[in-house]
Amino acid sequence: MSDPVPLTTDPGQVASATPPAPGRSRRLSDRGLAVAFISPALLLLLAMSVFPLLWALYLSFTDYSATRGGPARFVGFGNYTAILTSAQVHQRALTTLIYVVGAVTLQTVLGFAIAYLISRRTHGRGVLTTLFLVPMMLSPVVVGLFWRFMLDAQFGVINSLLGSIGLGQVEWLTRQRTALISLIVVDTWQWTPFIMLIALAGLTAVPKYLYEAASIDRASEWFRFRTITLPLVWPLLLIAVLFRAIEAFRLFDLVYILTNGGPGVSTETLSFHVYKVAFLGFNTGTASAYGILMVLVVIVLTQLYLRYLNKLKEG
Amino acid sequence: MRYQQRIGRMSVPGRKVRLATAAMLVATTMAACGDGQDDGAQVSAPKAPATIPELTTDPLTLSFIWFDWPPAQALEDFANAEYKKERPNATIKVNTVPNANWHDAMFTQFAARKTDFDIAILDSQHIGEAVTNGNILDITDFVKNNIDVTAYNPYLLAAYGQFPQAETGQRDENARLYGLPLLGDTWTMIYRKDLIGDQPPQTWDEMISVAEKCQADNPGVSGLAFHQANGSDAAAVTYNTVNGVYGGNLWDPKTRKIEGVLNDAAGQEAMDVLVNRMKPLTAKGSGNWFIDEVNAAVAQGKACIAFNWIAASGGLLDPKQSTLGTTREQILDKLGFATLPSQKTNLVPLGGMGMHVSAYSAEANQAEALNFMKWFERADIQKKWAAAGGVPARTDALESPEFLNAGPFNQVYADSVPRMRDMWNVPEYARLVDIENTNVNAALNGAKSPKDALDDIAKEQQAVLDSSNRRGGGGL
Repeated sequence: MSDPVPLTTDPGQVASATPPAPGRSRRLSDRGLAVAFISPALLLLLAMSVFPLLWALYLSFTDYSATRGGPARFVGFGNYTAILTSAQVHQRALTTLIYVVGAVTLQTVLGFAIAYLISRRTHGRGVLTTLFLVPMMLSPVVVGLFWRFMLDAQFGVINSLLGSIGLGQVEWLTRQRTALISLIVVDTWQWTPFIMLIALAGLTAVPKYLYEAASIDRASEWFRFRTITLPLVWPLLLIAVLFRAIEAFRLFDLVYILTNGGPGVSTETLSFHVYKVAFLGFNTGTASAYGILMVLVVIVLTQLYLRYLNKLKEG
Repeated sequence: MRYQQRIGRMSVPGRKVRLATAAMLVATTMAACGDGQDDGAQVSAPKAPATIPELTTDPLTLSFIWFDWPPAQALEDFANAEYKKERPNATIKVNTVPNANWHDAMFTQFAARKTDFDIAILDSQHIGEAVTNGNILDITDFVKNNIDVTAYNPYLLAAYGQFPQAETGQRDENARLYGLPLLGDTWTMIYRKDLIGDQPPQTWDEMISVAEKCQADNPGVSGLAFHQANGSDAAAVTYNTVNGVYGGNLWDPKTRKIEGVLNDAAGQEAMDVLVNRMKPLTAKGSGNWFIDEVNAAVAQGKACIAFNWIAASGGLLDPKQSTLGTTREQILDKLGFATLPSQKTNLVPLGGMGMHVSAYSAEANQAEALNFMKWFERADIQKKWAAAGGVPARTDALESPEFLNAGPFNQVYADSVPRMRDMWNVPEYARLVDIENTNVNAALNGAKSPKDALDDIAKEQQAVLDSSNRRGGGGL
């Protein structure tokens, strides 16, 4: 119970002494209000994310097919065993691994280098940053389409440029090695700005006095970079790498547009393979197990990565 | 103090919220499980009425789904111009999707048991999957009462509607029908008369020799252009065509054996011809070419001999899209169209599609769809469809001057009809064709040796056919 409100002519005093919600019913308590406000978002999340995940988990233990209909027969861990022992899946996992390592490494090096160069500029920094961010704002499908034209062996601008400097035609999208490299290059073109942006934020946050102190000690440029810049930006950069690695791990759109997994299946990633299992044969149970396994891989790797990050911070 | 009290009050609603959430998830899951079990009752195609039900007089849109290519627009224009004369309240809408998404666009809607189209234009190979899943109407009784089946080459009627498939090339009178022909099609050989002469090569070996010489004599022009992409059925149809011409078989339908049949001596020879003799005559980087890319190469004068679907060849005669001439006549002075050369056999691939009524369409729309199909298969309408650029299926329309004079490649189609061979229309088609596409594409682009690619196709396709009773892991 709150104390009785004293009669007074000072409006300010009345306001401060009045309890927060004297006539509020129990249903409209702070907690009730919080629940009321959160519920729509919570329901949406449950319906659109949590339920499909649980439903996929259930289907992953069955041989259910979305088109064939019929009751879903329980197959235990049959789908999981088949996926984990499948040579086809191993091949796609290797392709995905090469792609993730290649693309994320290249993006990190380039992104950090660009950010470092931009951070040293005093003029035109905003304009440069904005320009570099443009590729990231485009739809991957659009990016895939115009790169497909640019990389075309017959009339693409890339081969035309190579031809003008006396180099021969390269079959960018139809040869095993060049197709995967092309995917890495296109993904790097689009997502290097993401790493750059986060690295730039990290570089901007490095306290100036550290550099001033280093200057007083006549430290070299390389020494300042190695002992001040890199250690302070590193944790933030690793978070950017984590995001990019997760994104790259589930790459689908660029593969679909640029190579359709070819030549043969040499650029088929795990996500592209899941798509085929799910929509070519409509093997919904197997595709669900495949998806769940991919989520598990990401969760486990992320946990290990975060632990490393925490250790780094503690250190 | 107040903070602690608030925490205490919060715990009860928090628990309630968690309990309610859990209950809701369980209820939703149970409901979804229930759905799955209900579906079990519907495993075969529902029947269409034998006679057309009373049609609505209210405005109605009859929707089709097809892939994006010139015949789709031609169908919409033709149907709205002609069908509206008899059914003014009906509007025809042909929804299109990219070719690569065509199967997925139809079958994901079928999977949801709700379609935004009334008539699915299915490839003949899709019929098995759609029938087995109960996605399209069984129109056997409707056809008996409304369609003159004697007016068609029996194989065409069978290819676009019958299930199980007409493996022998003959229609099975006792088999059920699930569709009617919409657009006939096959491959045509497109050749440069100004480069190789007026007479097209008659055998496959001769065709390769002529292409080889043409390529050597004309720098910058490749000897051949054909489908090699690993999407849709591109590379698969190319191999199947060569396989047929060299006397091979795709499978033994009676024993459902692929291994040892597809990769027998004839199959190996066909793959060797395709990869080692034909591929070197194609343009660099053409390993992902399909319909549009082959047409572009022909229109830009970059190929001596090309192979493409007839229904997609109309644009080659458009001076706006071609560098071969400024008028249709000038282009035709340089381009010739012929039936495919023969070798050990004279088989050609069957293309084209049929009309199939969605089992999930509204009753009024299903009735309108049946009425449209009956109207479309009339002799006079088939001739008008031919004149509008379509390829009809009725024999009288195929032999009519309206069809034969409508395009230089129409005679090619008429001559090819008795030579056609289709591939599987089993429910597993989508996976079988993907296996073949990716492996043929790999062989064409040097990612696999021809022999390994063919053996892998046979092994993997056999595994798909044999895996129907497998417990788990289906689809890998």
